[in-house]
Amino acid sequence: MDTPERHTLCTIVPPYLLVRLAKLDDPRFARAAAAARASLLRDSQIRQLRGGVHPFAYSGARTRPARTPGESDRTISDADGQERLPGRPVRAEGHPASGDPAVNEAYDSLGATQMLYWTQFGRDSIDGNGLPLEATVHYGKQYDNAFWDGERMVFGDGDGQIFNRFTISPSVIGHELTHGVTQFTANLQYQGQSGALNESISDVFGALVEQHAQKQSTAEASWLIGEGLFTDRVEGVALRSMKAPGTAFNDDVLGKDPQPGDMAGYIETDDDNGGVHLNSGIPNRAFYLVADTLGGNAWETPGHIWYDTLTGTALNRQSDFAAFARATADTAARLYGIGGAAHNAVLQAWATVGVVAAIPAPLPPAQPAPPKPRPAPTAPLPPE
Amino acid sequence: MKVIVSRSGGMAGIRLTWEVRVEEQPDPSTWAEFLNSLPWDDVTDSEATPDRFAYRIRCAPHEVVLAEPQVSGPWRDLVNRVRAANGM
Repeated sequence: MDTPERHTLCTIVPPYLLVRLAKLDDPRFARAAAAARASLLRDSQIRQLRGGVHPFAYSGARTRPARTPGESDRTISDADGQERLPGRPVRAEGHPASGDPAVNEAYDSLGATQMLYWTQFGRDSIDGNGLPLEATVHYGKQYDNAFWDGERMVFGDGDGQIFNRFTISPSVIGHELTHGVTQFTANLQYQGQSGALNESISDVFGALVEQHAQKQSTAEASWLIGEGLFTDRVEGVALRSMKAPGTAFNDDVLGKDPQPGDMAGYIETDDDNGGVHLNSGIPNRAFYLVADTLGGNAWETPGHIWYDTLTGTALNRQSDFAAFARATADTAARLYGIGGAAHNAVLQAWATVGVVAAIPAPLPPAQPAPPKPRPAPTAPLPPE
Repeated sequence: MKVIVSRSGGMAGIRLTWEVRVEEQPDPSTWAEFLNSLPWDDVTDSEATPDRFAYRIRCAPHEVVLAEPQVSGPWRDLVNRVRAANGM
């Protein structure tokens, strides 16, 4: 049987594998572990030389050494309480855990997001082409937010009164990275219904990142976005509930969760870019209803329908709820057959939330269309 | 005179509002002078970006909506002052 010590650890070995080898505690692999540690140290020194004052600074994915498709390429930086980006690099891909929970949470959830997109949808990073994943933690002072700035994810520490640090929730991190995916695909305008769809898609894949990482089925999952983000002083479990919009919090200071779960509760407002974080409750619930009807793992059939719709050609920047409903139904019919369980579940879900006016009678089953050929990605090892 | 700062959006999508009644402040003339000095008519539209805050600032007869990156200089000073007056 081959053992790692029989192989030469050359520079093509991906960092995540080097880290795994470096941590081996088995005496049979002592030489391999030592070689891996030496390689990691050398790699770090090379990066320092390349990056000048920034030890982990890269000049971009295209100029880096060859990487294995699907492999994470993360860099976490620390803004040290300033509002300047990118901040000071503190953990690069393959480097050991930091003593800072925010750094490790960001690193781990970036890896979990990459893992979902690659293993389930064959998408290599945000742009589909191996874009390095960059994040900055400790942004600003008591900053109550996390956002995607078009190039990187940014996390505040929260004020400690209402919000904890924003890295605490994997669904928040998946949400932010998915804004990047949307930017590179349908690029839905961040206003009104297209903006609410943009938000909902981030919630959907944020929830899927969490469920996939924790191996939770639809029935087992909480369907909460931002669980753990509120401090103990707040009467609430999360920012939003996809299963039951409007029920995530009810607090003296924050008021009641205002999200509607159907079109009857649609909120017309000038705030929040036309209520993008409010009306997203409607398509969020539609996705949950599809998943609930089909059962099993939501990242499978429901996730594939939403992903194919997001990355297909049916949407444009101004697509509204009705257009998205039609597009997801068409995708379900194309992938899983007209009148099949998935197609009917999608039609029924949009009718239940009032985007489709009348609840249609289930379509009779038809011969399923042959499934769309998919790439068969090689699953990288789990993120460290 | 009253100034109201309403912050919406952000990843949480939770709206928070802070209000200051100028005449109830220990230094009302300083407040009034500061409010009058703000560049109310110079605010331009800016494209929304995901999960950033949006600030609606009202002080009759003025009302402006600022994207988070626009809240700098005197606007940042105003937001900080109003939040501080509300114990934030």
